[in-house]
Amino acid sequence: MASVITEQEKLIGKGIKRKEDPRLITGTATYVDDMQLPGMHHACIVRSPYAAANIKSIDIKAALETPGVVAVYTGAAVKDVGPVPCGASLPGLRVPHHHILAQDRVYFVGHPVAVVVATDRYIARDGADLVEVDYDVLPAVADPEKALADGAPAVHPQWPDNVAFNFHQENGEVEKVFAEAEVVVKQRITSQRLIPSSMETRAVLAEYRSGEKALTIYSSSQIPHLLRTLVAGMLGVPEHKLRVVVPEVGGGFGSKLNVYAEEALMGWIAMKTGKPVKWIESRRENFLTTIHGRGHVDYYEIAAKKDGTITGIRLKLIQDLGAYHQLLTPAIPTLSVLMMPGLYRCQTICADIVGVFTNCVPTDAYRGAGRPEATHGIERMVDMLAAELKMDAAELRLKNFIQPGEFPFASATGLTYDSGDYAKPLKKALDIVNYMGLREQQRKARAEGRWMGIGMSTYGEICAFGPSPATPAGGWESASVRIEPSGKITVHTGVSPHGQGEETTFSQIVADELGVDFNDVVVLHGDTAIVQYGIGTFGSRGTAVGGTALYFALQELKAKIKRFGAMLLDTDSVVYEEGRCACRKTGNSVSLAEIAGASYRAMKLPPGTEPGMMATYFWEPPNFTFPFGAHIVVTEVDKETGVVTIQRYVAVDDCGKILNPLIVAGQVHGGVAQGIGQSLYEHGIYDDNGQLLTGEFMDYAIPKITMMPWIESEHTETPSPVNPLGVKGVGEAGTIGCSPAVVNSVVDALSPLGVRHLDMPLSPEKIWKVLQGGQA
Amino acid sequence: MIAHPFDYLTPKSLPEALLLLADPDAKALAGGMSLIPMMKLRLAAPAKLVDLRGVPGLTSISEESGRLKIGALATHFDIESSRLVRAKCPLLAMAAAHIGDVQVRNMGTIGGSIAHADPAADYPAALQALEATISIAGVGGTRAVSAAEFFVDTFTTAVGPGELVVEVSVPVEAAGTGTSYQKCLQPASGFAIVGVAARLQAVSGNISMARIGVTGLSGCSFRANGVEALLESGSDPQAAAAAIANGIDANSDIHASAEYRLHLARVYAAKAIRAALAAAR
Amino acid sequence: MKVTGSHLVPLDRARVYSMLQDPEVLAACMPGCEKLEKSGEDSYTMKMKMALAAISGQFDGKVSITDQNPPGSFRLLVEGTSKIGFMKGGGLLTLTTEGDATCVAYEGDVQVGGTLAAVGQRLIDATSKMMIKRFFEKLIAVQP
Ligand SMILES: Cc1cc2nc3c(=O)[nH]c(=O)nc-3n(C[C@H](O)[C@H](O)[C@H](O)COP(=O)(O)OP(=O)(O)OC[C@H]3O[C@@H](n4cnc5c(N)ncnc54)[C@H](O)[C@@H]3O)c2cc1C
Repeated sequence: MASVITEQEKLIGKGIKRKEDPRLITGTATYVDDMQLPGMHHACIVRSPYAAANIKSIDIKAALETPGVVAVYTGAAVKDVGPVPCGASLPGLRVPHHHILAQDRVYFVGHPVAVVVATDRYIARDGADLVEVDYDVLPAVADPEKALADGAPAVHPQWPDNVAFNFHQENGEVEKVFAEAEVVVKQRITSQRLIPSSMETRAVLAEYRSGEKALTIYSSSQIPHLLRTLVAGMLGVPEHKLRVVVPEVGGGFGSKLNVYAEEALMGWIAMKTGKPVKWIESRRENFLTTIHGRGHVDYYEIAAKKDGTITGIRLKLIQDLGAYHQLLTPAIPTLSVLMMPGLYRCQTICADIVGVFTNCVPTDAYRGAGRPEATHGIERMVDMLAAELKMDAAELRLKNFIQPGEFPFASATGLTYDSGDYAKPLKKALDIVNYMGLREQQRKARAEGRWMGIGMSTYGEICAFGPSPATPAGGWESASVRIEPSGKITVHTGVSPHGQGEETTFSQIVADELGVDFNDVVVLHGDTAIVQYGIGTFGSRGTAVGGTALYFALQELKAKIKRFGAMLLDTDSVVYEEGRCACRKTGNSVSLAEIAGASYRAMKLPPGTEPGMMATYFWEPPNFTFPFGAHIVVTEVDKETGVVTIQRYVAVDDCGKILNPLIVAGQVHGGVAQGIGQSLYEHGIYDDNGQLLTGEFMDYAIPKITMMPWIESEHTETPSPVNPLGVKGVGEAGTIGCSPAVVNSVVDALSPLGVRHLDMPLSPEKIWKVLQGGQA
Repeated sequence: MIAHPFDYLTPKSLPEALLLLADPDAKALAGGMSLIPMMKLRLAAPAKLVDLRGVPGLTSISEESGRLKIGALATHFDIESSRLVRAKCPLLAMAAAHIGDVQVRNMGTIGGSIAHADPAADYPAALQALEATISIAGVGGTRAVSAAEFFVDTFTTAVGPGELVVEVSVPVEAAGTGTSYQKCLQPASGFAIVGVAARLQAVSGNISMARIGVTGLSGCSFRANGVEALLESGSDPQAAAAAIANGIDANSDIHASAEYRLHLARVYAAKAIRAALAAAR
Repeated sequence: MKVTGSHLVPLDRARVYSMLQDPEVLAACMPGCEKLEKSGEDSYTMKMKMALAAISGQFDGKVSITDQNPPGSFRLLVEGTSKIGFMKGGGLLTLTTEGDATCVAYEGDVQVGGTLAAVGQRLIDATSKMMIKRFFEKLIAVQP
C-alpha cells in the first residue's frame, strides 16, 4: 500500500492504518500451522473424559501397531520432565506437581494422558482413539464454594480442604470504620468463568538438531523469552541451546501468556524422536484445556457516611483456581485486591482471598486479569450505595473521586496512582449522552411501561506491567534499533505483539524521532535467536514499557548519529532534523543513509566511538501507569422475553497520550465486545461432575457482530509522568469498563421492581424470572 | 477435529446414488453443514460418503400446477433469494433466511436439513404450516409423504435406510393468505430456542384458515392444532397463541428451561400470528 | 440433568414388573442394544450401538437393577462408555395400576460426558426423552 506520508509530518497522534493488516486480511501471514519442516511428525493428545479418576492402566499396543504411528508416550515416559511452572509466589501457596502428562490420576476433563506421534495428523488422530485408558472414576467438584464445603471431594487428596492459599491485605481501621459506618451495603457478586476463545488455537512445532544439540520451539505465545527460560528448565536443555520462535499469533487475550504442558511435551518428543513434531490444538481442546478467565465469587461490603463519602471496603474473594496453577493462576486475584478501591479516595480496605482447587481447567490471565472483576465489584457496590442513599450514581462517584491535585496518589492497597482527572471522562460521557435529558426520557419510558436503564462505570486500571519488583519475572522491556548501511531501520523489540499493532506504533515512534519514512522501518519480534531478551506482551504494557525502551534506544542512537554527522561535516556541533545532520554555521548536511554507510565502512571513527549504528536499551519503569475512564450504557429490557438490548454505548477512555487513534479505537472496540460477552452471553459452565457443558461455540456464546451495539468511543488525554511518551495503555480498558456499566444499566432499568443486583451473564431467562417476580 | 477415514463417492445419477446408499455404512452428503461437524467430532463415522451434489436435477425450483417444487439440493440461500419462492411462498423464504449465517446458507440444503431433523431447525416449522409434501426416493421408487408424517421424532423422519429426500412441494399461496416465521435465537449456535410459523387466510380480519408450525419447543416439530382451532373460531391472537404450550413436554437445556421455552413459544406464536394477519391484509 | 415422566403400558402391574426385570425383554427394548449378558446378581454387561441421525457410537455398558420392591418399584442404572463419550442414566421406576394398565413413572438423572457432553447440550434432553419413549413403545410391542 503506497503511503502518502511525507518525512516532515509528525506521525505520533495520527490514525495510520496498521502495517500488519494487509497480510492478516489477505491470509498471507505465517502462523505455526503454516510451517512445514522436512520429515515432520504430528502429535495428537489423548485426554481424560473424566474430571477426577485414577488411571488403572493404559494400553497403547493397538495404537503402536497402527501403520504410520511412530511412538506413543504416557506419563511414565515423561515423569522426569520438570513440572509446568507456576510463576506466582504467595506465602504458604500449595503447588501441586503439574506433570506434562498425567501420572496415575487425572484432575480435570481434558487432562493430557498420552500422546500419539505419527507421520501425519490423521493417523495421529486415529491412533489416539486406539489408546485404551482404564479409569477408576472418582467424585469431582467443580464449584469453588462447594469445594470449600465440609465433605467435598478433595481435588488433590493431600489437601482435603481444597484450599491452595489464603491471602490477606488490609489498611486503616477496618473494624472501627465499619462499626461506625452510617450505612453499610453488602452483596455477593460473581464474575463467571470465561473462555478466552482466540481465533487461532494454541499451536506448537518443535525441531531438534542433534548435531548442534539445539532445540527450536515454534509456539503461538505472548512471551517468547520467558517461555524459553522456563521450558529450558523443564527439559533440562541449556537455555542458550533453546530457541523460541513466535510467528503470527491469532489472538491470545492472556491465554497465551503462559507456559503449557504441550510446549514442553513437543520439545521433549522432538528430542526423543529426532524428528520435528507439530501439534495444533483443536477447538475442542481449546475449550477444555487452554486457561479460562475470571471465576470469582466475591462478598463485598461497603461502608459510607450518609452524605455519600465512602469510608471502607471489605471483600472476601473466592477464586476458582481449577486443578492446577498455570503460570500466574494464584496471582490473578491479588490484582483484583490491588484495584479494589477503584478511583475512590477511600483508605480503609480489607481483603481476604481464598484460592480454591476445583476439578476444572485452571483459570489465569484473561483480558483485564483481575481488574475487570475488581472494577465490576466496586462499580456495582457504588451503584448499590447510591441506590441505598437515594443519590445519583454520577454524583456519588464525583464526590468520592481522587482529585487532580492529589497525584501521585498513594492508594489504600499500596499503589501510587500516577496521574488522573477522573471527573473529566465522566463529565464528558455525561455530556455526550445528555444525562439529564436521558433521565427525563427514562421517566417517560417508565410511564409508558418500558424498562429503560442508564448505567455507568468509572474504572481505573493498573497497566504497563510493571516495575520489576512488582512482577514475578522482571517488568522492564528492551528494544534495539539498528540502522542498516542503506539507511533502512530494523527494530527488535522484546514485546511480542499479536494484534496490538506495535509494528505500526513503533514505526511511528521511529519515524518521528529519526525523521525517516515510516515504511523504512521494520519491527521484528518474537524470535529469541534474533531479539535480545524481553518480557513480552500482556497487561497493556507493549507501548508504555516496550515503546519507552525503544524511545530511549533512539535517544542513544541519535547521539551516535550526531557524533558521526559532526565528524563527516567536520564540525563540533550539528543538529539532527528530518533525517539529516546539519551544521548550522556552514549550512552543510549529510543524510542518515550517508551517516549509516560511513559508520559501517568505518574509514574514520569519531573519538571513542565504535563502528556500526545500533543501540539497545533495557528500560525499567519506575511505576505502573493508571489509565481510567467512564462508560455509559443505555439499555432496554424486553418485558415479554427478558432480552436486554444495548441502545447506546459511550466509552470515554483516558489512556494517556494517544499515539494512533485508529489502533486505540480498535483496542476499545475489541475490549468492549469481550465485556459485552461477559455481561450478556458468555459463561463457561461445568456440571457437578466437572463436565464442561459449554465446550463448543454451539453452546458458548461469544458476541457476533450483529449482537454488538455501535460504540461511541471518545477520549480525554492525561499524560502519564511515568514515561516520556506519556502513554498509559489501552489493551484491556474496554473490557474493564464495560461489564459494570452494562449490569448497572440493566439493574437501573429494573430498579422500579426492587431489583438491586444481578449476576452475569444477564441471560434473557434470568431477567424474565425477575420480571415474573422471582429472585435473580 | 479430524474425521475417521472414509471413502468419498460421487454418483452422477439418482439411481446410482441410491445404489451406493444401499450399503448401510454409506451416508448421503449434501451441504455437509450438519454431517461434517459431526464427523470431525467423530460423533459420526460413516465408512462411505455419497456426495449428492453431482446428481443432476436436484437443485431446481419451479412452479407446477399451483405448487412450488423445490429440489432437495436447493441451498438455503437459493430458497431465501429465489424470486419465485419469495413471491409465491414467502414463508419458506423467510424460514430459509433465518438459518445460521451466510456461509451455512450457501452450503446447507433443504433436503439435508429436513432429513437431519434437528429438533430446533427452522424449515420444519414452515413445512408443517405449509402442509408441505416431501418426496422420498428409494430403489423401489418414489413416494410422497406429508410434513406431519415426515417429522417423526428427534432426528427421526419417515426417510428409511437407503432412501433420499428428492423434493419438497409447497403450495403457491392464494390471495388473502398471510404468513410469518418468528424465531427466538439461541445466541451461541443461532438455532431456534423456539420458532413459530404462522399461515393464515383472513377476510377483513376474520380468520378462515390457520396453520401453525412449531420448532424448537419439544423433541420434534409439530402443528399446533389447538391454536389453529382457536384462531379459526375467532379467538384473538394473544389468547390463541397461549394454547401453543398446552400439553407440550418442552425441552430444557442450559439456554432455556422448559418453563421459559413454553413462555417464549406463546410470545413468538403471538408475534407470528400478528405478523401473518398484517401480511394477509 | 433430571429426567421425569411416565408411560402407560396396557398390562397388569405384576406382569410389567417382571418384564422390566427380564434381561431378554430389556435387551429387546433398549434402543440400540446388541448384547446383554448377565454379570452378577441383577447386573449385566451390555453392548449397544447408538445411531441417532448422523451420530453413531459403539457403547460398552453395564445395567444394574437394585432396590427391588415388587411389584411397585425398583431402581435401574444404565451406564455406557465409548470413544465419543460416556453416558449414565439412573433412577427410580414406580409402577402403579391404572385400570387395566400400568403406569410406569420414572424419576432420574442423566449424565453425559466427553465429546457427547460438549456438543450435545441442547439435544440431550430431547434425545433422552425419545430413547425412553422408544423403550416403552418396544416394551408394549414385545408382549407376547
Ligand atoms: C454454524 C451453523 C449454524 C446453523 N444454524 C442453523 C439454524 O439456525 N437453523 C437451522 O435450521 N439449521 C441450522 N444449521 C444446520 C444447517 O441448516 C444444515 O445445513 C442442515 O441442517 C443440513 O443440511 P446439509 O445440506 O448441510 O446436510 P448434510 O450435513 O450434508 O447432511 C445432514 C444429514 O442429512 C442426510 N441427508 C442429506 N441430504 C439428504 C437427502 N437429500 N435425503 C436424505 N438424507 C439426506 C445426511 O446423510 C446427513 O445425515 C446450522 C449449521 C451450522 C454449521
